[in-house]
Formats: sequence, structure tokens, C-alpha cells
Amino acid sequence: MSFAEDSQISASGVQASKLSGARRGVEPGQNATKRLQTELMQLMTSPAPGVSAFPSADGNLLSWRATIEGPDDTPYSSLTFKLSFEFPSNYPYAPPTVLFRTPIYHPNVDFSGRICLDILKDKWTAAYNIQTVLLSLQSLLGEPNNASPLNGEAAELWDKDPTLFKTKVMDRHKDVEDD
Amino acid sequence: MPAAVASNWRDRRRQVFQSVFQTDIAQSTPQSTPGSLHSAPGLPFGGPAASLLGQTLRQQQLQQQHRGFSPGEHPFLQRTTPDSLFQTSAQPLFAPNKDQERYDRAWHVVTARIALPSSATADDSFGTLAADSQHQVSRKPHTDSGGIDSTFHEAFAALVNARSLLPGATRTDDILAWHVRQVRAHFAQHVIPLLNGCVGDDEGDAEESSDDEEVDASRWRARRKGNYYERHMVVVMSSIRTLEAALRLYFFGLNQLLSGFARLADTSPEAAKDTELLNARFRRDLHALVSNSASEGLKRAIKAVLIRLAGTILGISSPDEAVAGGEQRRPAAPGQHDLKVQASRERLIELVQQLHNVGLAGERFQVFFAEVMDVMMSDFVIGAYAGLWSAPDPRSFSTAMESVSLSTSLSGASPCTMSLNDWVENHFARLSFEVLACISPNSQGTLPVSLADLKTYQSLALGRLAALRIRELFDIVLAWPTSRPALDDLRATITTAARRKQLTDSLSRVLQTRLLHPGCSTLEILRTYISIIRTLHALDPSKVLLSHVEPGLQLYLCQREDAVRVVVTGLLANSEEIRAVRGAEDTPKQEGDGPRTTAPGRGKHYARALASSTSPTNPGPSTSLSQANNPLPKVDSAQTTLDRLGYHPTKLVELALILNNPSQTQPRRHRTSPATTTTTTTTATAAVANPDRDPDPELDWNDMSWLPDPIDAGANYRRPRSEDVIGTLISALGSEESFIKEFTAVVAERLLLPPTSSSSSSNSGTPLVAVKTDRAAGLEFEQELRVLRLLKRRFGEASLQGVDVMVRDVVESRRLDARIQLRRGGEAAAGVDGLGGVEYHAQILSRLFWPGLDREHFLLPEVVVEQQRVYEAGYERLKSRRKLTWLNQMGRARVELELGDRRVEVDCSTVEATVIYAFQPSEGGGSGGDEAEDAPPVVVVRKSVDELYAQLQMDEDLIAAALQFWASRGVLRRVAGAPNTYAVAETVDERNAAATSGATAAAAGVQSDSADQPKEEEELEPAAAAAAEAAAKPAVLAKDRERREIYWRYIQGMLTNASASMPLAQMAMMMKMLIADGFPWSNEELQDFLGEKVLEGEMEVSGGKYRLVKK
Repeated sequence: MSFAEDSQISASGVQASKLSGARRGVEPGQNATKRLQTELMQLMTSPAPGVSAFPSADGNLLSWRATIEGPDDTPYSSLTFKLSFEFPSNYPYAPPTVLFRTPIYHPNVDFSGRICLDILKDKWTAAYNIQTVLLSLQSLLGEPNNASPLNGEAAELWDKDPTLFKTKVMDRHKDVEDD
Repeated sequence: MPAAVASNWRDRRRQVFQSVFQTDIAQSTPQSTPGSLHSAPGLPFGGPAASLLGQTLRQQQLQQQHRGFSPGEHPFLQRTTPDSLFQTSAQPLFAPNKDQERYDRAWHVVTARIALPSSATADDSFGTLAADSQHQVSRKPHTDSGGIDSTFHEAFAALVNARSLLPGATRTDDILAWHVRQVRAHFAQHVIPLLNGCVGDDEGDAEESSDDEEVDASRWRARRKGNYYERHMVVVMSSIRTLEAALRLYFFGLNQLLSGFARLADTSPEAAKDTELLNARFRRDLHALVSNSASEGLKRAIKAVLIRLAGTILGISSPDEAVAGGEQRRPAAPGQHDLKVQASRERLIELVQQLHNVGLAGERFQVFFAEVMDVMMSDFVIGAYAGLWSAPDPRSFSTAMESVSLSTSLSGASPCTMSLNDWVENHFARLSFEVLACISPNSQGTLPVSLADLKTYQSLALGRLAALRIRELFDIVLAWPTSRPALDDLRATITTAARRKQLTDSLSRVLQTRLLHPGCSTLEILRTYISIIRTLHALDPSKVLLSHVEPGLQLYLCQREDAVRVVVTGLLANSEEIRAVRGAEDTPKQEGDGPRTTAPGRGKHYARALASSTSPTNPGPSTSLSQANNPLPKVDSAQTTLDRLGYHPTKLVELALILNNPSQTQPRRHRTSPATTTTTTTTATAAVANPDRDPDPELDWNDMSWLPDPIDAGANYRRPRSEDVIGTLISALGSEESFIKEFTAVVAERLLLPPTSSSSSSNSGTPLVAVKTDRAAGLEFEQELRVLRLLKRRFGEASLQGVDVMVRDVVESRRLDARIQLRRGGEAAAGVDGLGGVEYHAQILSRLFWPGLDREHFLLPEVVVEQQRVYEAGYERLKSRRKLTWLNQMGRARVELELGDRRVEVDCSTVEATVIYAFQPSEGGGSGGDEAEDAPPVVVVRKSVDELYAQLQMDEDLIAAALQFWASRGVLRRVAGAPNTYAVAETVDERNAAATSGATAAAAGVQSDSADQPKEEEELEPAAAAAAEAAAKPAVLAKDRERREIYWRYIQGMLTNASASMPLAQMAMMMKMLIADGFPWSNEELQDFLGEKVLEGEMEVSGGKYRLVKK
């Protein structure tokens, strides 16, 4: 998704609210759900390989579940990771909170699933979307940022002992139940 | 008697306590009194012995009084308090005062006379006995004025005029104040415990229920049935008796004093006091004492009794009576001569008077009474009118209906308001008057209930009614035509801007909770919306109310993607559907009563009659009450009503009805197309009489029903002309563009629908072409044109140009087609055309103006292509510089098949025709079917999907669908053993064989081989390439396929991420919620789809939940 496209979305939103006139107040969070619906449609019409996402079963559009397949040629190949996305009501102007629900052994992910990724923090822009986040995370699996690790041991082992790393990955990985 | 025991015990406890802690120092008693009083009944005067334990504070007082006189005798008393110690030490200094002594003696005489009995706690009926004894005493002085009397008066005079007569007496006191103190003490000591005793029996179990009196009272009324009332009555009566006795006692003393004053007035006027004033003051103090000390239990009892009696008088049955009667009775104003009511009334008045006499009818009682009356009014309004939207009297009901439908009496009273006003005036106000007259202090002065008060009561009652109706408004809307009288109530009661606001706010809130949620289909919402429009319009023709309610609805409808489509299809509902509804409506209309049909201008009797047929009489009180309580069943019943009467549940046929109803659209149409009004001669008079015909109704000085604009109207408010359901709906659906787009799409679909009646054009038929062109005059699109005109008026000509072009295209292409056919016919006659009688018609559509024209590529049979070429040439000759692009998939064809033993004639799509044409024996194919007879083919043609794909370049799904179509017609049959291969079923036997079992297909094949020369002739008439029929399967199929693909991805995404397994309903719910364009599938469709996926092995079902198959 390009930035231009995104600004178009917001522009059309403005237009719509103008059209509808003063008698319709725009509910806060309405924009976020609208955008998420659009994103869902995009995800469905042009899915990216190895990643998928969907709103959670309770019907709350601000809470999503996603799946990433471990890329080949990485220690995570053939593994599947579940993630949770919690969107703020001012999404996309603030990043979603993304957590690994599947336990993962990774230099940039801590043991409670928190992720250290700049685009989910200060580098976030409204031009990102769920798909780009998922793809970034997928590439993070293959190319961890060992300079700022959350899991120091993993960062060390990544370079030093790939075999042990792989074992740790396999040890830690465990399919999570649905909630 | 437990109460007496309790009081006794309390006394003992207090005495023991006081003997140690001397709490009674605050007791202000005369500092010096003659101590020789021993004559008080039951007062053994002596030391504080054990025998004193049964005594009370009164005794202590006496001891204290005595103390000043003979301090040394009672060491116990000497060390009572610092105060008394001071007194005792000080007194001997002044002791040898003669005057003081005389004064003290006089004091003693007087106090002995008026002293109250100390205690009778052991006695069951303290009050009465004491009163009796006192009465005897009190009567004595009046009857025989013996020596006691004179001594008393002397003493009294001495006391009162102590200053002049006994200047030496320094310690004097006011005898009146003493009496008052004594009374207070006595009341606190004896009467209150007794009163508590009266209530006490009840209190134990009353308190356990609830602290809140009102809830408590009503609950108890319900639980304890009649018993409860009687128990309270007993409490009240015994309390009253006790108080009466006590008051007699007190007043006896007072009267003694007063008579002393009276006598004194003769001799020394300066000392006399105004006995009247004293009496009144004493009474006032006493009443204050009584009313302030009334216990909660007593209050509760009084309230309960009041509620019961007032309820009976006002015609509100209490629950216990209702239970006894077997069924709930609605409150109604009681008749004039209802004995029970009269009895209750007398009883209440008597009771109130008694309460007044004992001082329980003070301000507090008035508050009680006001509260009770308040509850009564609410009970009556809710009980009598909730869910009952018509007057109890059918005669007044119908007259009200008439007056309202003529919309002459906009501010007139409705039946309910009239009966309510009557009730307030004749029962409610009367009761208040009677009760207040009893208790008001100056009954001779101003009336306790004035006319202005009555008006206030009435307006209060109407306010309650308004609140009730406002609460019911949504149900009123749902029951629209039957609920008209309720609207009259509303109209009569909603008179202030505040109430109007309350109404709109309340309705908006109810709409949010009951209508605007995902559980309601768009159709339901729109249907309710129509009812709202009508209801509120009937309520307030100025439409201001509606405009206040609308925004929420509109906002929600904008989120419903299918709303526009529902409205458009509803508008364009075909005549059969309308007729179905009409038919359903006509029957009840005949039984509708006379007055209703006198208002043709309103144009709503169809709906009214519709509803009146379902509930010809007023709904039974009990049922309507239950409906009001739980509204959901009501919605259901309304729905079933509609269904039963032939309403097509999937279409908003109401709109088409309104559109076809001339009176509804008259004001709009007479501007744009006056010609249409002539078609409806029956209603022409109504139209003329309609004031809307006037150029500017604002300037119509003869309009007697003119009303100023409502005060809550906006600045740019313009008086709307009519109910205008359609207009309101359309404007509610948000942007014009989306509506026009949808309308265009639907109209395009309908314009291209195969003409149902005369589509049969055979190879021989030139005359049929003529039929077709006749129809092209535009009659068949009457409905569409009417809607188009309506929309043009609303949106302007320019925005609907596309639709105009479409309609013109259809008409024009028929004309062109006729001309081309004519020319071609001439050529054919000249023998130029040898194309085997294939007739070919085309519709020419302007490319830019038609929505959804997609090309689907496939190869048409050569014959058809040839025809297309000829046609194209003909067209280009007529219209130079224009080019035809053929949309092959959007056509219809009539196919005649000559099979081995039968002829089959089928109307089908061009795709299907093309597929079956491919089954023509190859030697006969190519140039046409007419030479097929010369060369009879020997083998049965069989083709597989793949072969057909190669031959036709058609989408496989389309091929499969077409094959399926022909198989279902018995023309083709599946060849056993070869997947996706079909063969022509030349004979019925074959067909049957194929139909009965696929397993015997091999045998059938043999059979067909042995069958005599199969002769086959296919004649294709694809009625046009460009005869674009948007409804034609291929386009839909392509779209549908794409859609299914997307949906499948959604389902995959859902089951991968949201939850690994989900039940169908939840999936459907998620899809509906998440797909921005709306999810049009029903649960069944989704189930079918999922079923397919299960068959394909993509999914599995376990325990009613679907999950993806792990790969």
C-alpha cells in the first residue's frame, strides 16, 4: 500500500462527512473500523503468501488475530505463529499493539510475546497496514535486529550457534489453543 | 398483651438505669411543689423501694417535686444532681415564707386535680380505662359543683395571680406549662409504647420485606392479599383509639385549667387569658407531638389503608381483588352507584376525620395523601390506557377516527384524554376535595380544591398519559394503522416543546435498542421506517417531529448497503406482487365500516383496512397489556400478519403500492405530468379537493385547518405538502449518487428481462415481430417510467439521463430491429439469404449508459455469427459511423430440437443454445440445419467438457452449467464411465434410462446405438448478441464465482486466525459484519457453500462447527 492511496482514503472520508452534512456526527472509532474493513477486504482480495489475518471471533473489529508462516531458509521454517493485533480507536494514526501469541524464540521478541520493531513504535505511519506489518514481521524472523535484542541469549546464539538456536526455537515453539 | 409487657419492661429498664445515672436531670419540673400529693391512683409514695420498679418517670417527677418541700426525708433524692443539691441547700433560707407555703399548697391542689394517671401498663386497655376514669372525674366538677370545685378554683386563682396575691412566694411556675410538660412526658412514657405496641405485631414481618415503604406496601399488598389491608386497618384503628383516649385525658386537664381561667376572667380580667387561643395552641402542640412521634409502622399502615381505599374509590382494583376475581381488570372510572365505592368513600372520610382529630392528619399526612394520589394517578393512567389504543366506547372511537382522518380536529380531544379528564374531574378531584376538606384547618374559607387545581390535576394526568404513550410509541408505530387513536392521545397531550423533545428523544432511544441493530433485516427497518413516517406524520403534519427522529435512522441505514436496493426493488415491484397485496387488502376493505372510506384523500385505507382485518375489534385488555410489556412477540405477530395477507416478505411492496396510489403521489405528479392524473378518474375529485393543488398553501386564506409552524421547527423549515413516504425514504438513504446508481442498475436489469408474454418468435414468424414492436410503445415499463418520473422530479433530469437513454435504447432498438428485419426479410424473399430460417433480433444499447456490460468470450455457432454479420451490415447502413459490439452471453434463444422420437422447444440463454448446438452432428453443422435430413448421422454425438471447451472457447463453468441445463431437460445425458461427458438422449427411453440411474447408462448407450437413425436438427435463434440481458446467467455466474472466491478467502482467514472452528451462525454473523459491501447470503446459502467445501475436502464439520482441513 502506498501512502498516496492511504491519503485518498482519508480524503474520501472527509468528503463523505461533508456530503452527509452537519446532522451526522462521525463517531470516534468509526473511521478505524471502516479502515479495518477496507484492509480486510484488501487482505482477502490480494492475499500475501505466508501471512493472514482476521478479526477475532468475538466480532470486535479492533481486535484481530493473525498467522505468520515461518519463512523457508530460516530457523522458523515450517512453523506457524499466531499473533494478536489490538487496534487503537484512532488507528491508523497510531500503531496497533502486536503480540506473538505463539511462544517464539527470537532475538527481538521477549518471552511474553512483545515485539521490538521500530515500525510498531516510533516509526509507525498511517501508510502501514496490517499486511505490511505482517510482512515486516515475517522478514524479521529471517533477519533479526541483533543490535537491540529483547532476548539477549537468542541474539548471541543467532550468530554463534545456529544449530543450538534452531533447537531452542523448536523447544520453545508450541501451538497455542484458540481462546 | 405483648405490647404492654414490652412497655412495662422498658420502663423497668429505664428506671434501673436512671436510679444509677440520674439521666432525668433535664426534666424540667417545678422547683417547688407541695409534696403532700398521695392521692394519685396507684402511686405508693415512699422511698425508692423495689415496689417502685413498676413505676415510671412520672413517679420520679413527683419525687423531685417533693424534694423541695421536705429535703431531708429522702437521702436518695438529695444526691441526685448538682443542680438539685444546690436547690436543697438554698431552699431552707426561704422556707419560712407563708406566701410560698400557700402557693405550694395551691399548686398541689391544682396539680393533683389535673395530674395524669401515671401508668397502666399492666392494663390492656390503658387508654379507654384511663379515659373513663378521667371522664368520671371530669364530669364531676361540672355536674355537682362541690367543695372540691371551689377549692380548686381558689387554688387556681392563687396560682395564676401569685404575683399579686402571694407576693412572698418567690418560686412560682406557670401551671399551663407544667401541664404541657406533664402531657409530653406522659405521651412519651405511655402512649408511644402503646402505639408501638399497636404497630409492633405487624412490624416484625413488615420490616423483613423492605425498608422502602412504597415498594414494601405494594409488595405486601400483593403477597398478603386481603389480609394485609385488614391488618393495616387494625393497626390504624387501634392507634387512633389509643390516641383518642390519650388526647381526651390531656384535654381534660387542659379544660380544667381553662375553666379556671374562664372563671378567673370574671373576677380579675387582667389575669385571664384567651382560652380559645390557649386551647388552640395546646391542640396544635399536641398534634405536632402526635404527628412527629408517629412511627414508621403506623405511617406505613396509614398509607396502605389510604392506598386501598383511594384505589377502590378511584376505580383502581388492587391486586388481591383481581386475584379473587380471576383475571386482571383494567382500572376504570367507577359508576355513580357503586355500593362498594360509596362504602369505601364513607370509610375513608371517617378515617380521615378521626386521623384529623387525633392529630395524625397534619402536614405529614397531607404529603402522604399527595403521594398516594400521585401513585393512584399513575396507576390509573398506566393501568387503564397502557397498550389500549382505542376508546372503550366503540361509538366515540369511530367518530374520533373520522374526525382525525379528515384532519380537521388537530387539537381536539382524543377518546382517552376525554375519559381521563372525566375521571380526574369526577373521581380524582372529588376525592381530593373531600379528603382535604376534612383536614384543612379553615374549611369555611377557600375551597381546598379550586377549579385551577382541577385544571392542574388534569394537565398532570394528561402528562402521565403523554409519558405513557411516548414510552409506547415504538409499539404504536409497529401497530401503525390500528394505533391511530393512541396518536390522537399523543396529539392531544403533546402540547409543549419539552414534551415534543421528550417524544423524539425517547423514540430515538428505542429505535437504537429495538430496531437499529444487526438482528433486524434492512427490509424490516425500512418497513418500520415507513410506519414511523406515517405515524409521525399523522401525529404532526408539519414533519418536524419526524425530522428530529430521522437522523439516527438515516445514519444507520447508510451503513446498510442493501437499503437502496431494497427501496428500489420495492418501488419497482411488479404488478403481480402489487395485485397480491391488493387482493389481500380488498377483502377486508369490504368489511371496513362506512366512515373510514369517506376520507379518500389520505390514501391510507389500504393499510388501515389491512390491519383492521387482522384485529377488527379492540385488542383484549390482557393481551395488549402483555404486548406492551414484552414487545418482541408483537413484532412477530405483525410480521406474520403481513405474511398471511400476502405481503411478499422479501420486497418492500408497500412502496409500489404507494406509488400506484394516485392520492399519494398526486401533489407531485400533477406538476410534471398532468396526463397521468386522467388515468385515475376515480380519485380525481379527491385531487381537486386536495389543498395541495393550490400554488402556495401558505397563502391560502381559506384554509381553516392552517396552523402556525411548530416552535421547534428549524430556521429553514418549509411546510411539507404531504406524507411523502417515498420521498422521505429516498432522501433518507443518503447520497443521491448511490441511489441513482442502484436505480440504474435495477432498471437496466428489468429493461433487459425477456418479455414474458410474447418472446416466442419462431422461424416462421414474421407477425410476431410486429407484436414485439407494439409492446415497444412503452406500456410494459409503466412502473419503471413512473418511478423514473418521480425520481426525476426529485433529483433533476440530468442525473437520471442515463436511465432515460436506457429506456430510449430499448424502444429505439426495437424500431431499428423491425427495420432491419424488414430489409432482411426482403432479402430472404429474394433468396439471398439462405441461412436456414434462423431469426435474429438485437437490442442496441448505448455503451456508456448501461451498467454492468461485461463481455464474456465464446464462439457462437457459425449460423449465428453469419446473422450477426448481416445484422451489423444492416445497422451500419441505417446508422452510419456507428459500430456494434456483440455481447454474446447476454441473449436469449429459442431452440427447437428434433430428436429421435420427439421435438423439444426450449427458451434458453445464448450460452446454453451454443452448447447444445455443438452437439449437432458434425456433417450437418456449419452452414445450417436444413440439410440435416439429407445426411442422417449414424452415431450419437457425445462430447466432454474439455472438447466443448476447445470447440467453443467458453468458460468451463459456463459449459458445465449449460450441460446441466440440458441434462435436466432430458436432452442430454451423462455418459457412464466417462467423466464430464454428455451425449444426446435421442429417445425418451434413453432419457428415462439416464434419468433413472446413471449406472445403467452403458446399457442405454447400447440402446441408442441400436436405435434407428437419430435425426437431429437444431435451430438456434440467439435473440441477439447485444440483446444484453443483464440477468443472463454468464455475467451473473462470473460475478458469483468471483464473489464465492472472495468469500472463501474470508472463511479461510476466519478459521485460520479468529477461531479454528466455528458454528455456521457465527460465521454468517462475522461475514455480515466484516464484509464492507454487505454479505447477501442467507445462512442456508452459506451452509450450502460450506457443504460444497466439505465435499471438496477443504473443510470438515464436527459438533456443528466447521473447521479447515489441515494439510
